[in-house]
Amino acid sequence: MISLFLLSLATLQGDTIASPSRQIDEVVVVSNRQGGKRSIKGQVASIDEHLSQLSRVSLVRRGSYAWEPMVNNMQTERLSTTIDGMKIFYACTDKMDPVTSYVESGNLQSISLNAGLNGNPQATGNIGGALDLRLRKAGFDADPFALSAQAGYEANGHLQVYGADAAYSSHRFYINGGLFYRHADNYKTGGGYEIPFSQFHKYNAFANIGVRLAEHDAVEGVVIVDHAGDVGYPALAMDVKRADTFITSIAHRHTWSQGVLDSWETKVYFNHILHDMDDTKRPDVVIHMDMPGRSTTAGFYSLLAGSYKRHSFQFNADGYFNRLFADMTMYPGGAAPMYMVTWPDVHTYNTGLAATDDIMLPNNQALRLSAKLAWQQQYLCNHEGYEALKVFFPGIDDHYQQLTGRIATSYSLSFSSSILSIGAGWGCRAPTVTEAYGYYLNNTFDKYDYIGNPRLSNESAIEANAAFKWQPSGQFSLDVDADVFFFSNYIIGSFEPRLSAMTLGAAGVKVYHNIPHATIANASLTAKWNITGSIQAESTLGWATGRDDAGDALPLISPLSYSARLAYHKKSLLVQAEMRGNARQSDYAAKYGETLTAAWTVFNLSSQYSIGNFTIRTGIENLFDRLYSTYADWNEIPQKGRNIYINLSFDL
Amino acid sequence: MKKIFLSLAALAFLFTATSCNSNDDDGQQEIKIPGITFDGDVECCSVEEAVQIYQFLQTVNIIPELTTVIDGQYTVSVYNSTGTLHTGYNDLYFIANKVASGNYIKEFSVSGISPVMLMTKMNMKHSTPISGGIKSFNSSFTAVKHGWISFVMPTSESGYWTIGYDANVLGHKGSLAAAEINVGALPAGQEWIKSFKSGDNTYYLSLVNPTSFGTGSNDVQAYVSVKSPVAVDPYELASDEFVIDIDPRMPDMGNHTSPDNSALKRSTDGSYRGTINLTMTGLWRIHLTVKDLQGNIVAGGDNIKDGFSSLFWDVTL
Repeated sequence: MISLFLLSLATLQGDTIASPSRQIDEVVVVSNRQGGKRSIKGQVASIDEHLSQLSRVSLVRRGSYAWEPMVNNMQTERLSTTIDGMKIFYACTDKMDPVTSYVESGNLQSISLNAGLNGNPQATGNIGGALDLRLRKAGFDADPFALSAQAGYEANGHLQVYGADAAYSSHRFYINGGLFYRHADNYKTGGGYEIPFSQFHKYNAFANIGVRLAEHDAVEGVVIVDHAGDVGYPALAMDVKRADTFITSIAHRHTWSQGVLDSWETKVYFNHILHDMDDTKRPDVVIHMDMPGRSTTAGFYSLLAGSYKRHSFQFNADGYFNRLFADMTMYPGGAAPMYMVTWPDVHTYNTGLAATDDIMLPNNQALRLSAKLAWQQQYLCNHEGYEALKVFFPGIDDHYQQLTGRIATSYSLSFSSSILSIGAGWGCRAPTVTEAYGYYLNNTFDKYDYIGNPRLSNESAIEANAAFKWQPSGQFSLDVDADVFFFSNYIIGSFEPRLSAMTLGAAGVKVYHNIPHATIANASLTAKWNITGSIQAESTLGWATGRDDAGDALPLISPLSYSARLAYHKKSLLVQAEMRGNARQSDYAAKYGETLTAAWTVFNLSSQYSIGNFTIRTGIENLFDRLYSTYADWNEIPQKGRNIYINLSFDL
Repeated sequence: MKKIFLSLAALAFLFTATSCNSNDDDGQQEIKIPGITFDGDVECCSVEEAVQIYQFLQTVNIIPELTTVIDGQYTVSVYNSTGTLHTGYNDLYFIANKVASGNYIKEFSVSGISPVMLMTKMNMKHSTPISGGIKSFNSSFTAVKHGWISFVMPTSESGYWTIGYDANVLGHKGSLAAAEINVGALPAGQEWIKSFKSGDNTYYLSLVNPTSFGTGSNDVQAYVSVKSPVAVDPYELASDEFVIDIDPRMPDMGNHTSPDNSALKRSTDGSYRGTINLTMTGLWRIHLTVKDLQGNIVAGGDNIKDGFSSLFWDVTL
């Protein structure tokens, strides 16, 4: 009998080891299990820090909290983010709350990334990639009792992290749960300048329960409650009073110990997000405003996995309902408040079918096929918001339908000391609610107000990728990896001179349009040496480009990036020195309001030492207190200056 | 005022509904309207007609000061959405009842409506813009008459308003003699009547019921009236034709504006009609540029210090 826990571990390993074609899939491990990449700060690291371990991920930073992951230099609208296969949609019109901000490190087992069009079965709209946040379930037949606690302190910003969780597991039952708390004050940049409004605090509680109904049938339930409050966004004009979510699911899983079918999991889920912005603490607010956003999602998926001869396949059917509503009330002193609906209570009904097949071919060849087809209906249910949009798009309907799909294949061929893989895919995505129906959403990046366009066509992309791994010996390996995305109907805002800005100080109004085509390409080079048994070195070089139909640069594309790492590992001691940097962003997107970001290099030192049940991690980030910002720092908000951290964790 | 639109819509709906149900007389005996006896009087409304009026009256309020009794046999009453009057445009709905049965009179007429402001300190009198006649709401339905008065100023310490009118109910003539009535001021952020001078004339621009405006695209209706040579005579609609450009702005939002507003142009009923797009609620200052048919600016469009016309209406949603 294969226990469910082992199955889930096998799935986990599947991401790191069994991706037959290409190292496009990455996993960062959050909890203390084996395999995959991990943050040197351990579980105490924030989700954002864990995400930054993934080589294809970069993070748009608007403050200390809730960074927005980008994959292959594409932002949220071209990615799918799921929590254990559950759909969840952010509730802030200004993207202050990427859904990764609604979980905590303690909730997660791992974060898996499927790059490009080859998404996880529940993913839709994933052109750039699909992130799945895997929850940390104790599982059946695990250690009967487990207890862990973490505490962390970072000198810069007085960040404090406290977490504790406990687990009980038997053959028939498991339960685990925990609490997490983070608190940070304003941080200081290199040179010691304090960044006001960079504070936050966050509470998180979670519980997972599993009951084995019969030898091959189990029911699993999840509850996560997350609250962030008093969150400063120094790169934006507003902060957040509260960002609350409630996430729950219940799943049934049937497994087979023999035969073609391996497992069949059906999950129903619900999540609800409340997000309230706040400008009451800012000085010199010209006009006070309230900007609440609400997101509610309910859905299901049913995933059947099996294997037959050389095939290892998955079929998935899913459906979800999502409701997004946001509005804005502005209070000019003494005069009547001004009210507008910024997301017109958009009801989305989406249903999809997905299939993947991993085929092991003779002579060390492997082939992976994946496809998904999804059908979506959207209703604009707020009359006022609908009437407002009609000012800009007379005669539009309040009901839309989109058909989206993706198909991807990859092939790999292994030689004695190398692996070659190539892949290709086609996929399309429906416009997001912001892109289709958003209303006067001010973008502080380019200083324009954005209006959605209900007449947008789906955006589609053809992806081609190739990777070559050369490992002449166990001591050395070299990875070269490249992909390119050819977009049609690429969705981006374009300036509408005839429209008048709403936000005071805005440069004008942009409306989302399909531009005929655009291209995004990424390439990376990774070299690893095992210099001695205890000393390892690793070096990476990354390059990317993004072009619109006129050949001009797209915004938020990484400049040349590099890193080098030297690690010494002996018994329970790990010491690591790291250098990371970006070249000058000379190819910035002036056309889209981007400004030049200077080159930077920072150095980090870290160490880890385990003794008994305790692990202590300590290090210095930004050793030379460099004042810098990256291309992905919103409005060039500077990064943290020198930061000394110490984390202590206890596992029983 | 939304209620008025709703009630007009209800009226319109009921007219069409009756035309579909004209031979549906079975339920006639069941219908009862409080205070009305149906006695087959041909001067009065049929049961179906009376029901329509009764339902309409549920959506409006009587202006008690404007009721008059003619020969002890008929009463003429005036209604609008609130039962009160305010600065700017006010709808007036006239209905006549037979005292004996309480039923509504099928056909009557109202004329000579004359609002007069007596400015007590200066001992001067003047009138204000009124509709070009009191007309049936609908040509096939004559029991409800509609007119309007647009008050140039509210009642205040310096002066008060009186209103009189003449009525003719089935040959019985009567009138309301200069009844004093309060005209309330509009709240801050609402300015619905403005004047301008051109040549020897003073013109008034009355915006019709802007409280019905909402976020989105709105039909705008307005009237252009001209001050009478004798100030105490009501101000009739101007015979000169204009085109009025509108430029809605939000003074609290850096003079944010909206696209695709269409100028007010005179329609066959004498009112000026156009379209205004409002992107949100709040205070909208609708800057006006009045042009003649040759495109010459007659008033407004003068670009005062903020760059916009000094002639404007204010509407707060």
